[in-house]
Amino acid sequence: MDLFLQLLITGVMVGSIYALVALGWTLIYKCSGVLNLAMGELTLMGAYVCLSFYTWGIPFPLAVVGMLIIGFILGLLTERLFLRRMVGESILAVIMVTVGLSFFFRGIVAFTWGTDTRVFDPPVFPAEPIRWGRIVVGQVYVWSFVAALVMLVVFVAFFKYTRWGLSMQATADDEMAALSLGVSAHRVYALAWAIAFMAAGVGGTLLGNINGLNISVGYLGLLVLPAVVLGGLNSVPGAIVGGIAIGVLQNLSAGYLSRFTPGGIKEIAPFAFMVIILLFRPYGLWGWVKIERV
Amino acid sequence: MYLPSGVYHEHYAQDQAWWRTTFIRAKMVVLFLFLLVIFPLGANLYLVSVANIIGYTILSAMGVQLLIGYCGQITLGHAAFIAVGAYVSAIAMLQYQLPYPVGLVLGAIAAGLWSVLFGLPSARVKGFYLIMTTMAAQFITVDFFITQYVSQVGGRGTFFSLPPGTIRIGPWTIDSELKVYYVMIVLVILCTTGMANLLRTRVGRAWIAIRDNDIAAEAMGVNIFKYKLLAYFVAGVLGGIAGAFWISSILAVSPEHFQFSWSLWIVGVILIGGAGSLHGTIFGAMFITLILEGLKFAIIPLSDSFPALQERFLYVKEAAFGLAIVLFLLYEPKGLAYRWQQIKNYFNLWPFSY
Repeated sequence: MDLFLQLLITGVMVGSIYALVALGWTLIYKCSGVLNLAMGELTLMGAYVCLSFYTWGIPFPLAVVGMLIIGFILGLLTERLFLRRMVGESILAVIMVTVGLSFFFRGIVAFTWGTDTRVFDPPVFPAEPIRWGRIVVGQVYVWSFVAALVMLVVFVAFFKYTRWGLSMQATADDEMAALSLGVSAHRVYALAWAIAFMAAGVGGTLLGNINGLNISVGYLGLLVLPAVVLGGLNSVPGAIVGGIAIGVLQNLSAGYLSRFTPGGIKEIAPFAFMVIILLFRPYGLWGWVKIERV
Repeated sequence: MYLPSGVYHEHYAQDQAWWRTTFIRAKMVVLFLFLLVIFPLGANLYLVSVANIIGYTILSAMGVQLLIGYCGQITLGHAAFIAVGAYVSAIAMLQYQLPYPVGLVLGAIAAGLWSVLFGLPSARVKGFYLIMTTMAAQFITVDFFITQYVSQVGGRGTFFSLPPGTIRIGPWTIDSELKVYYVMIVLVILCTTGMANLLRTRVGRAWIAIRDNDIAAEAMGVNIFKYKLLAYFVAGVLGGIAGAFWISSILAVSPEHFQFSWSLWIVGVILIGGAGSLHGTIFGAMFITLILEGLKFAIIPLSDSFPALQERFLYVKEAAFGLAIVLFLLYEPKGLAYRWQQIKNYFNLWPFSY
């Protein structure tokens, strides 16, 4: 039971980071219909930028703010330079543009920062773990959880209460109607990419604090896909729940199933789970039921 | 279809022939002479090894071209089937001492069947959901089954290396780049002509119908499920051949050669070459390999001032490839094959291009 609770709590905390990145992914899909396979590289970019600021001696909160600003600018640029021309192209072409971007970004990251694991030095969060009864959780997990929650709340509030957020919701809901009411679709797409960059950057920074930062943090970008499939591709609450569920699933399978296999179950469980969802409920928990069968 | 004036075909066989005019026949003879005699005799070891990489890329991308370009089934997990081919043929040779051609055939068939297994969901889902399933195929096959289970076979560790002299076709031991080149060129020619012929039959036309409009194809009596699975099978077989060729080229096999990025890479290759064109597969593979090799030389003069460029060339290559895909999709979405047609048309119609 203790083991279960331990795994569950760690899973929820890591899952909240996935939820943050999944939120960015869903946002792009909802607003502009682009299936983004470059999410992992967006997390890498953000995480390494933040790490660089931090190693230059800038305090961590300021480094995060700097990373957010750079992520915002990069998001706008990416949309303007590469994605804007792809509106209305075939699904394969759009996906492959994001794949091309992912190769490009990964190349740049690996070229600039190398492939050795880098850590935030000195550690941002104290190493002393927190104990609740017999359950032990590292402080870095707790703080990541808090930070991810704060970001999620900020984003959700942004969508609900600001003019920009409302125009994004309107575009996602019915693009034609939003256009006729004077919402600029291009601006909404650009904003979606900017927010995705920022969310991914925060997610990458938090994961980098947990395990150290290397190129394999980009794997997060692939983990996002099971999360959004579970939640339903175009559902923001779905992305959050899906992200947390995938984090829990990953931890539980690592805890209980790894004794039956030589290893690697932790990496593969989300994808096996995703195939099962796709077979039985392809539109996820809260996605729009719009499946065409031939 | 362009034909010069003065060509009169008297039989259907002439009309349907691959090489219909003397000029084309002469051109093809020159091409075969170049590929089989002049290039291998004249080129140095480096060029031959580059040609082998191009051949491997062509073989790998051929199955993807069939699935994406001709059958409309987007796949982002083709490296899994290449890996199955490579591992099955390697295990057949190492564990059961079977000859290389038998291993190659076994690998191809195993890869085809494995591909059908993951093609089954294609009957139910398409678009994004299909992409997710093929990605899952990649991770389940390579990162789980092969890394964790298959690599344990025979207790060699994850890196299977084939002792020199293992790869032999009859009495002919394949132990040099030049011999690998001949294996490659024979396989490429066989696969390309096989594909080209297949695409002219009922099967190929059914695939193209499914690609263009699956509902209309179904309405016209094409059994979609059967033909989609057939496409997966043939694509898997081509992938398996690529994998089995690869082990003859580097005499080793390891899960690291078949990562997700290789799946994406070969999809990028066919998009650069042009989806829906066999020429496109070959052009794309040649273009990307030659450009990246050229890049290697281009940065040598810069390496004095920026030594990092040389040390981390792998990543420069990745970034350049990514940029190439993006730029091609933005500015030349139909790929190199389309441009090639345009150039040919220009010269065919010259000087009266109206």
